[in-house]
Amino acid sequence: MNANQVAERSRILEGLVTFVTRSFMVEASDIDMDKSLIDQGIIDSFGLMEITTFIENTFGAKIQEQDMTREAFGSMNKMATFVYRRKCGEI
Amino acid sequence: MTETAPSARQPGVTRQRCARCVLSAPFPNIKFDVEGVCNFCRDEVGARSDDTAIDRGRARVMELFAARKARGATYDAVLCNSGGKDSSYTLKLAVEKYGLTVLSFTLDNGFVAPAARDNIHRIVDALGVDHITVRPALDVFKSVVRAASMLPIYGEQSLTRISAGCNACISLVNTTALRLALEKEIPFILAGFTLGQIPANGIVYRNHYRFLAESREASMSRLRDAVGLEVDRLYGVPDSVIDRAPTYPYNINLLCLESITETQILAEVGKLGWKRPSGLDGCSSNCMLNTFNNYVHERRHGYSPYELELSHLVRKDLMTRSEALEKLADQPLEQLPYLVKSLALSPEDLATLGLSADGQVAG
Repeated sequence: MNANQVAERSRILEGLVTFVTRSFMVEASDIDMDKSLIDQGIIDSFGLMEITTFIENTFGAKIQEQDMTREAFGSMNKMATFVYRRKCGEI
Repeated sequence: MTETAPSARQPGVTRQRCARCVLSAPFPNIKFDVEGVCNFCRDEVGARSDDTAIDRGRARVMELFAARKARGATYDAVLCNSGGKDSSYTLKLAVEKYGLTVLSFTLDNGFVAPAARDNIHRIVDALGVDHITVRPALDVFKSVVRAASMLPIYGEQSLTRISAGCNACISLVNTTALRLALEKEIPFILAGFTLGQIPANGIVYRNHYRFLAESREASMSRLRDAVGLEVDRLYGVPDSVIDRAPTYPYNINLLCLESITETQILAEVGKLGWKRPSGLDGCSSNCMLNTFNNYVHERRHGYSPYELELSHLVRKDLMTRSEALEKLADQPLEQLPYLVKSLALSPEDLATLGLSADGQVAG
């Protein structure tokens, strides 16, 4: 990734963190960015659906049924990368 | 000035509450400013973001409903009908405002107040809606509620809006509704949640069952360990049903799109014959078990599972702060002996919950 791409992905991650902290009453420092939010006890499966709706509404990244995997949604970092790649048309 | 108010669970104990809403000091990540107002009330960015999400949700709902007619299904929607005022009003909205053909569905968990059952029948009759009741094996259901109440089955942060016992029941409602929708090829699942009970981004979402099931496997595994393999029968949807269905349905919470007070809701459902059941806690209009679930939540977490929802209604001027406080305080704890006996809690469980052997609040 070049500097602009890194900045864009960081902006997406920041937006996701803001949404999760605001919606699920956690501090950013409570979140392990490389672990599943469900495994960390921060959200339940319904929370995951809320995040997908937030992603579609906020970043305009359309999420298909086949996207709903742990590879794409298994951590905050994975979600940010997924959204970035979808927006760029890489996936 | 921050107000203190007595706790219904611990008489004589006072707690700090937000001066504007009803969130209390034990609520996760709450902070009070010098005026005693909490950070959630001060979060104007979050409020604007909610409004945007609601507008998007409304547009999406209209788009989905407009496209439904070509499907040719017998029912447009299955509606999770608890018999409470909110789901009753949601049914009215679905039929009268949105013109949907609805299958009303009630999960009878064994604790539905008799008066709530009467309300269900009066409302579906008045609206001319088909209705079915599903009653799970109550011994298994009660084991699930016991486990959810006594053990860390669900993630702590996922219980800020709901008690563990209610979460166990609502999950069962959702799974059963999904199974019905898939079996009958019904494109929408409706429920009577309000904002505060769910975040604004949860108004409309597609129910990707397999992904959701995978996501909740950790809590299901803990539940299996505590209760047994029977939980899979309760909370699972057979592959044959999923594979046969053309697509997953959408879950839609129509009530979140309305700006309406409780008084107005009661007036509207009252016209259809709905009557407020007596003997329930101030936050429920259908389920007797809610009193126990609230008690356990407050005991474990230090705050009511309804604080977030009621605070949202107060901020939106849909309820006064004093009305919200009244609801929180209205807990018929005298029903705990009956409820804990029905759930067959062990003496150790009762002691952990601060209850005497006959289920009275100790001390």
